Amino acid sequence: MVDRLTLLRGAVQQALETNELDGVLALRADHNGTVPHLFRTGDDLSGLALWPKYPLTRTLDLLLSAQPGARLGIVARGCDERSLIEMAKRNQVDLERVTLIGLACTAEEAAACRCARPYPTKIAVGERVEGVEDTITSEHARLSLAERAGFWQRQFAKCFKCYGCRNVCPQCFCEECALEEDLWVERGVLAPPFPMFHLIRAMHTVGKCVGCRECELACPADIPLTILYSLLRRDVEEMFGYVPGASLEDRPPLVVSGVPEGWA
Amino acid sequence: MREDFEPRIIGFLCNWCSYAGADAAGTSRLSYPSNIRVVRVMCSGRVSPELVLRAFREGADGVLVLGCHIGDCHYTDGNHRTAKRIPILRKLLSYVGIEPERLRLEWVSSSEAQRFAQVVSEFTETVRQLGPLEKGGEV
Amino acid sequence: MMDAGRHPRIEILTLSEVVDVQGYVGNFQVRVRRKPRYVIEDLCTGCGACVEACVWKDRVPSEFEAGMGMRNAAYIPFPQAVPLKAVIDPHSCLWLVKGKCGKKCERACERGAIDFEMQETFLDLKVGVVILATGFDLTDDPSLARYGYGVYDNVIDGLQFERLSSAGGPTGGRILTKDGRVPKAIAFLHCIGSRDDEASEYCSRICCMYATKQAHLAREKTGGEVYQFYIDMRTAGKGYEEFYKRIQKEGVYFIRGKVADVVPDDGRLLVRAEDTLLGRLVEVPVDMVVLATAARPAKGSKELAQLFNVSLDKDGFFMEAHPKLRPVSTHTDGIFLAGCCQSPKDIPDTVAQASAAATRALVLLNQGQVEIEPTTARVIEARCSGCGECTLVCAYSAIEVVEGKARVNEALCKGCGTCAAACLAKAIVAQHFTDEELVAEITGIFERERVLA
Repeated sequence: MVDRLTLLRGAVQQALETNELDGVLALRADHNGTVPHLFRTGDDLSGLALWPKYPLTRTLDLLLSAQPGARLGIVARGCDERSLIEMAKRNQVDLERVTLIGLACTAEEAAACRCARPYPTKIAVGERVEGVEDTITSEHARLSLAERAGFWQRQFAKCFKCYGCRNVCPQCFCEECALEEDLWVERGVLAPPFPMFHLIRAMHTVGKCVGCRECELACPADIPLTILYSLLRRDVEEMFGYVPGASLEDRPPLVVSGVPEGWA
Repeated sequence: MREDFEPRIIGFLCNWCSYAGADAAGTSRLSYPSNIRVVRVMCSGRVSPELVLRAFREGADGVLVLGCHIGDCHYTDGNHRTAKRIPILRKLLSYVGIEPERLRLEWVSSSEAQRFAQVVSEFTETVRQLGPLEKGGEV
Repeated sequence: MMDAGRHPRIEILTLSEVVDVQGYVGNFQVRVRRKPRYVIEDLCTGCGACVEACVWKDRVPSEFEAGMGMRNAAYIPFPQAVPLKAVIDPHSCLWLVKGKCGKKCERACERGAIDFEMQETFLDLKVGVVILATGFDLTDDPSLARYGYGVYDNVIDGLQFERLSSAGGPTGGRILTKDGRVPKAIAFLHCIGSRDDEASEYCSRICCMYATKQAHLAREKTGGEVYQFYIDMRTAGKGYEEFYKRIQKEGVYFIRGKVADVVPDDGRLLVRAEDTLLGRLVEVPVDMVVLATAARPAKGSKELAQLFNVSLDKDGFFMEAHPKLRPVSTHTDGIFLAGCCQSPKDIPDTVAQASAAATRALVLLNQGQVEIEPTTARVIEARCSGCGECTLVCAYSAIEVVEGKARVNEALCKGCGTCAAACLAKAIVAQHFTDEELVAEITGIFERERVLA
């Protein structure tokens, strides 16, 4: 049984040889650590890695902007593909220039991410496993209002505005971020009495967040941000039938005309 | 809850319908609690989540967003976006432990003076029962 | 209408409908679909030879006669039609429907004006202003059945009565029942579908006067009994109250009570109502019932409003910009209203309103410039990522993404600010209602309270 990493190297090799790509974006490990790397045709792929999970889509966006006309491949898990669809919907990437090398997550990886759909549409490497239930989020939803208030007061008190969640999020591509405006998020104040940063960020994920969990992974204070984003994602699906990353044709619900049946 | 608590309410009113409705309430000499402070916008669609959150942050105990009825928006369908944004924001507030009843969206047309007065009275009372935001939704 | 038809700078397009509208005040592009007449207008003299020759004779209910009379498949709508040209109805013409006809009309036309090969065409017009004057329709709601409309013979509406009483109409101006008798008694029922919580709440304004006029004609022409069942008599115009008094003196019976229903009774029609002044139920046997039915927005108003981006009021009439101060304007710059399409009104008021709308239109055309709202949106390009969500929000299609940045057309922008709220990066600014200004209002409100407290 050939292991996933070997298969992945093979898939990347094949993509480079057959698709006339200018490079494939993946992870590369060496004695210093694991970093994003653009593998070119003819490169040594022995350093290619697939762990830890990393939002390569951000880097892809940068590379495609910097090199107009470049055609790139990317190792894409389910969440990466969904991110790319939402980014493409908002004119940030041109999917015509992108070749996805679909990587299915293992059961352990799916559980670690509490992921509902741990596989891309077309799987090149790995076996498809079914999504797992996000019990942390569903348990949180059962808390009382007062318990939730206390919980989030403690959580937000830990935040020291490293902007890691914003930096790593594939959907945060704004040229200038509203969260850096003093008008919305008061400068020089940590643990403010009213969590403007987090509430605004949460509203901004609506219709965009694909559940990649990178923000939570990036947070040095271990704030379980994705509880909020997942709950909102569920609401958006229930209210508007919209699932971020499901289809390139769907329009984001909060900006299009029309209200759900019976809301008038 | 202190007996003398007077809720501080910010109302975002759209110029063409609800603001005119509030005006009509005034010319009809209808009574309603004076806790509401009105911020006029051209369309309820102008009311972003950021503005609502800023109102709470500044000290509002309740935020009332009033617009034209669906189908009657002066700008055709600006209020469609409001109709979708506000319920989501209410959900978010509830997830972080703030009572969602502190944020309310209603449609009031320019001729609905009575309705304006009633909505404001009801909402003021709701927020009065909830108490000040610091205590009630301690975040 | 003849004057308009002859005016060198007025072009009347009949058999036409607007199918698309783009642009904005001063620069509208209007696409008009022109349905085929099957008669070449430049050649037709309106001589009527084709109409005479048409084999499908008197088989089609005439629109002009409000269904009281029939017409041919080839016809001239009415003797005063402008343009006075023949037209062939593609839904009833044997050649056009079945391909089976001797085409006598074609042979009868000495000018060779018949052209069965005509196709619909489209006309693209560039106009600066638009005046909507699409009028009204009388209601044809199924609930009229309770008064016998569409159920019994001899229950007709006001327009149909007009055709009976017109010398050019199907009966040559005689008031006759369907089987050709002179009615001994006629009842006019007011407020059918108007002033009604279950139909139209508003008063249709014109009916009290026309029903009274028709009562006068009915009395004069038939000598019979004429009854008016009314709720209130609305006779507010110049000379109207005096007219009403005169008709009362002529022996027309005015009974104050809205009719409950009309039932058949021994070959006649029984009108049942409460006479509220006498406090008694009455049942009046008549031979003809004329319903003063509600004036409704013309069919197709909803679609037209969408095309031109004008609002409809709660009753479906085009909405004026302000009921007192701007009765002929709409909220869409450059589009004006005249006549019953805005609300039911009689001829003097319609003429006055039409003059006002024409003047407003001329003012705009003469100025050559348009004042736009100052509250338009403005893009801060440095902040804009070109995501295009703002373009989806705008009801006026005033924003486009060009070369990766959003761009606002200030002439189209109406200043609602919804784009500014939708932009996550706050790259669009709603001028005069900026976030800074609105937040300043909020902080100002609370600051003032802190000071006063």
